[in-house]
Amino acid sequence: MSDVEDGIRDEFVAEAQEIIELLSRDLLVLDHGQKTGSPDPELINSVFRGVHTLKGIAGMFGFGDLGEVSHVLEDLLDNLRLGRVELTQEVLDVLFEGIEVLQRLLTSASDAPAPNLGVFRAQVDRLVGAKVEADEGFGPYQLDEGVLSVLTEYEEHRLRTNIEQGVPLYRLQLSFGLASIDTDLEDLKARAKPLAEIITYLPSMEGGDDDSIELEVILASRVAVEELREALADRPGAVLEPVARGRSTGAKTIPPPGAVAPAAPAHPATAAPPKAPAREVSADSLSMRVAKTVRVDIAKLDHLMNVVGELAIVRSAVGKLLDRVRQAPELRGVGAELHRIHRGFERHLDELQDGILDVRMVPLGQTFDRLGRAVRQVAREHGKEVRLLVSGAETEVDKLIVEELTDPLLHIIRNAIDHGIERADAREDMGKPKTGSLALNAYQKGNHVVIEIEDDGAGMNADLILKSAVDRGAVSPEAGNEMARGEKLGLIFLPGVSTATEITDLSGRGVGMDVVKTHIARLGGVVDVQSELGVGTKFTITLPITLAIISALVVRVVGRAFCIPLTVVQEALLLDPLDVRRVEGREVITLRGATLPICRLDRLFQLRPRPGEHQASKEYVVVTSLGQKRLGLVVQGLEGQQDIIIKQLGPSLRDTRGFAGATDLGDQRVVLVLDAPSILEDELTIADVRIQRTEAAR
Amino acid sequence: MSELTRRDSSPPVSSRTKGRSERRREDVREFLAFGLNGERFALPLASIREILKVAPVTEVPRSRPWVLGILSVRGRITTIIDLRLRLRMPSRDPVKQSRILLVDGGEEIIGLLVDEVFQVYRLSADEVELAAVVAGDMSEYVLGIGRPGVVEEGQSPEDILVLLDPEPLLRR
Repeated sequence: MSDVEDGIRDEFVAEAQEIIELLSRDLLVLDHGQKTGSPDPELINSVFRGVHTLKGIAGMFGFGDLGEVSHVLEDLLDNLRLGRVELTQEVLDVLFEGIEVLQRLLTSASDAPAPNLGVFRAQVDRLVGAKVEADEGFGPYQLDEGVLSVLTEYEEHRLRTNIEQGVPLYRLQLSFGLASIDTDLEDLKARAKPLAEIITYLPSMEGGDDDSIELEVILASRVAVEELREALADRPGAVLEPVARGRSTGAKTIPPPGAVAPAAPAHPATAAPPKAPAREVSADSLSMRVAKTVRVDIAKLDHLMNVVGELAIVRSAVGKLLDRVRQAPELRGVGAELHRIHRGFERHLDELQDGILDVRMVPLGQTFDRLGRAVRQVAREHGKEVRLLVSGAETEVDKLIVEELTDPLLHIIRNAIDHGIERADAREDMGKPKTGSLALNAYQKGNHVVIEIEDDGAGMNADLILKSAVDRGAVSPEAGNEMARGEKLGLIFLPGVSTATEITDLSGRGVGMDVVKTHIARLGGVVDVQSELGVGTKFTITLPITLAIISALVVRVVGRAFCIPLTVVQEALLLDPLDVRRVEGREVITLRGATLPICRLDRLFQLRPRPGEHQASKEYVVVTSLGQKRLGLVVQGLEGQQDIIIKQLGPSLRDTRGFAGATDLGDQRVVLVLDAPSILEDELTIADVRIQRTEAAR
Repeated sequence: MSELTRRDSSPPVSSRTKGRSERRREDVREFLAFGLNGERFALPLASIREILKVAPVTEVPRSRPWVLGILSVRGRITTIIDLRLRLRMPSRDPVKQSRILLVDGGEEIIGLLVDEVFQVYRLSADEVELAAVVAGDMSEYVLGIGRPGVVEEGQSPEDILVLLDPEPLLRR
């Protein structure tokens, strides 16, 4: 076996080990939940996903037995999460045993005699055979056919279960800005988690305009309606109301707030007494594979980075002291020696910082290798011929980014093979090479890493995408008519919009493109799509190289320093006051023939000059961009570019919009880092609202 | 950073209250007393992480009115709150005696600007009057009223301490 393959194998073992450990932790919690009568459905789902992932990677690395056991377990878990099999102690016994088997398979490095899989499989089959039939109907609730028809099987099951358990259902309607929907949705989910279960969210048929989308969220919660409203329906226009009851199909009937559904009769206790595991598991066979690498929690590296930051501050303090020593003639000898020591300290500190950053950086190659196997597998499953062309595998990215990158890339690749690349015969008819090609290119571009996934398949039909978006109510037909082709293509990043006429097992089971976009956005990146019918599709993902250190432009706003991440800065120029015009209540300038809206940061932040500070005579415009959107930020000074370590603000400042964090600028100044995307968003979408509000306040 | 956020010397423990340390341990709680707008307040000593001298903070636009700004404490960005404003008292500029108490509010450690720091009190259960009696909008974060020395024979109670509950006080 080559070194490379050995490395991949180690990587797989480490990853599988992590998954198995997580699974057994989740199962223990589930076991407790089952015993106390309230197993967390999300936990079952999470175990299901874990086993699903394990199955996927086991298949890719040729661990047949492991894949098979995972597959058997996955079946059982799928039935569990859909409520077809009830979670009993007996089922848990089997699940725990499954984890043991997986662990043994993994640690025996596949050369020891394999455990008897047949016996295990028979156990599972018996459980799956005893399926519970789901009943029809939704109790006292009156739910839209339109809503029901788009629920996934799992969502429908959760809906039924909640109704059965008498958990009141609520309908939450709220609108999101299109550009911030990813983060806003994540935020909503996080806030809902402790209070309610989100059954589903769908674009609403009514409302919404070009820049926003109206979502309808179905929630189940036992929390009082007022509390839910306060926690979730806090944005303007949000409506939270109990789902109407009654079987009449007429007008909505709204029960009084806080009404509680009649409690369903308690389930007869079905938990079988715990029985001893079918077979003994000898612990000594679990000899762990010892790798020469250490997996380190990124938080520990962040901590080290903090310490380096502190040392940098010590360094500048020593530097100042050194200057003073040099001024004193009687200390000349000491000064020279101190200077030498200081220089050495500086050098080592830089090395330390580079070293810590380096630990975080890994080549994309590891991820690409995994994708390569996936391409082969997916292509074979679909009977398609696909050649993978990889370039730039040596490009290095922050470990944290790489870890989060596999899923979105896998999804894009699966889509490309499933929906993009045509069958060999169809390709030949069109005069294309029989074998489709999928190119995976990575390269560094300044402080960014660009990853392109390009296929030479059928391309995407922009009008079909638009139709899907209109059908989903995400876009009005009128707005759609005015969209450019690129804009229409961009709609595939909205929840629920797709090009596929039927959902295949492969792409339907995982995540949608909206999730891909959310994933990438969470990493501070953007994803774009270009596509030509009959020619192919290209996804371009642009990511920051590291999440730890970014380059920023330090600016001054009436005497206060702020950092703007260079990733969003296009250019900075002197503002000529005579260039400023007012268009529809907001200030704009003309930059090389194009209109650029501007935003005065001092007004946005309501900062006034400190006493004794004179008004700056010159002002500058920092041109920022996010995708197609551009905004000029007006500042009073440019201090220059600097690499900064972004640190999070505390939870108490989490609802203060506009800042991504703060940084120590070395000279003992703490400076806020602007969250340029959110400022762009706020300024360009709610600008009118804001202007009206300030005018009303006058 | 050492210049800015040097750890202040630990506050003195009241010698009079110290004498009662033989009292049964379980019903004695320690509080750090501080002054604010001429009144005396106290927080459970267990919630205090550190006492800092006042350092220049960076203001955070658009934050709550009582947020003074942020400060880097050993590399960690820490939110600093003007406790006067938080308790609806008139604000004023820090003076020489002003201190920042780093308080663990459960979710995060937050700095509270106070006028001055007095001492640590060890209060037994009978020196604490629970919050129910305290009226007004403060009651949410008031644990109770401390009357150190109230049980001491023949002695008039020392100044009243308003005992604050850090978690509701610092919750967003």
